[in-house]
Amino acid sequence: MIEFSNVGLRYGQGPEILRDLNFRIEPGSFHFLTGPSGSGKTSLLRLLLLSLRPTRGRVTLFGKDTSALDQDQLLQMRRHIGIVFQEFRLLDHLTTLENVALPLRVLGEPESSYRANVTELLDWVGLGERLDALPAVLSGGEKQRAAIARAVIARPDVLLADEPTGNVDPELSLRLLRLFAELNRTGTTIILATHELALLDSFPFPRMVLNNGQVEFHG
Amino acid sequence: MADLSLPRFAIFSGFKTRDRAAPIVPERSVAGRTLVLLIAIMTFLSGVTLGGVVLVQKSAIAWSSDVGREVTIQIRPVEGEVMESNLRTAVALAQATPGVAAARALTLEESQRLLEPWLGTGLDLSAIDIPRLVVVELADPAEADIAKLERDLQAVKGASLDTHAAWRQQLNVMAGTIVASGLLVLALIVIATVLAIIFATRGTMASNREIVDVLHFIGASNSFIAGEFQGRFLTIGFRGGIFGGLAALLFFFLIGVTAGSVVPQEANQQLGILFGRFALGLDGMFGILAVVPVIAAVTAITSRLTVRRFLQTTS
Repeated sequence: MIEFSNVGLRYGQGPEILRDLNFRIEPGSFHFLTGPSGSGKTSLLRLLLLSLRPTRGRVTLFGKDTSALDQDQLLQMRRHIGIVFQEFRLLDHLTTLENVALPLRVLGEPESSYRANVTELLDWVGLGERLDALPAVLSGGEKQRAAIARAVIARPDVLLADEPTGNVDPELSLRLLRLFAELNRTGTTIILATHELALLDSFPFPRMVLNNGQVEFHG
Repeated sequence: MADLSLPRFAIFSGFKTRDRAAPIVPERSVAGRTLVLLIAIMTFLSGVTLGGVVLVQKSAIAWSSDVGREVTIQIRPVEGEVMESNLRTAVALAQATPGVAAARALTLEESQRLLEPWLGTGLDLSAIDIPRLVVVELADPAEADIAKLERDLQAVKGASLDTHAAWRQQLNVMAGTIVASGLLVLALIVIATVLAIIFATRGTMASNREIVDVLHFIGASNSFIAGEFQGRFLTIGFRGGIFGGLAALLFFFLIGVTAGSVVPQEANQQLGILFGRFALGLDGMFGILAVVPVIAAVTAITSRLTVRRFLQTTS
């Protein structure tokens, strides 16, 4: 599903922050992506999200060499990838329901066709009572669950999460991780970046450890 | 039945109950009011310019048509010639010319009155030989055989024919200059509007960068994002255009009413003959109203192109 071959990345004329990445991620797997701050976790996720192109090497997603894709094809492929940010990135003027439904609106689906599905998903993540709430009145945990719901509403094949528990308390972190685990059980491939050791120890998923721009697999 | 599960003050506590999904680009995020005002002013200026052009062109056509329906035979006094006899001959020749509706010699009194503006009143001109005029009305200027009349008049000593061609030509040149200037002003207004929209769109895109990024991350195409912004600008363009268009129509209505009430009726009639009336007519009004969708379309297209260029450079 995802294959990196000799991938390197540098910003401008700076040093390579990722180098010689060679790995393969199978469909339906769950990986933690970890490493010290500044090790390049977010950059690796952006490579996976196709918002960055590698400066060398080849990234293959869903069997296609991404370097050969034009912008429209990249955007089409991105629709198979969900992303959850540490800072949620919900749109302030949209309600929880509207934020979560955004990927479906982008696909051109009419509201009448998706409203029931979005409501059901929000019920599932525990936000059934907050459909019409604006992000300003949601707690950190609620925002993160809404962001997760938005990332999975269009049933992506891959879900990327960048420090999704960075802004919530430890108890909620565990609950969110269970939510990701549940999503993984439904077949979604998940790569979750975190540097919280407690979380890593609580779940038996393999780890991709980034250090000095290179990745090692554990577990 | 209405949904009563949320309190009536829900909107103040961060809840929004809506019949349909909110726009992805929020209205307040676009420099709405300022842009509506700017587009309204541009539409007003376009409408006034267009209306002015229509008025000038209509007056020129009407005046040219009136002047063209008449030619004048001038008979200068020639020694040994009898003026009255020459006048009768000229009238007869004119009446025999194809396309002529009527011909009439101005009386001596009428001719003297024509000279009053230059010579003053109360002068006895009976002792002076003055040129006399024959007014020839044409039934159809296109059909009238003016060349034949000119040839026939060579038989009358001292006779010459004035078709007012020089006046008409000068009038057409003047009207054409005003119309061309008006169109140039219109083009400049459209260019200024386009530039203002480009700046406004760039500002809007910069302040909505977060929305653009989120849309990109969830797989929205540049075309989709441009469409969302274009829709917002189209609304603004229409709103400003309607305000400006109505203001332009109101302006011409008020000018017409004011001109009718301030200038005395007789003078008003003469002004009307000379300069035309301040009446746009249906075609003029439709012309001004047509500016509204044009300005709205210019707004939408300009913003779309600006957004697409912005997205191409940022994504």
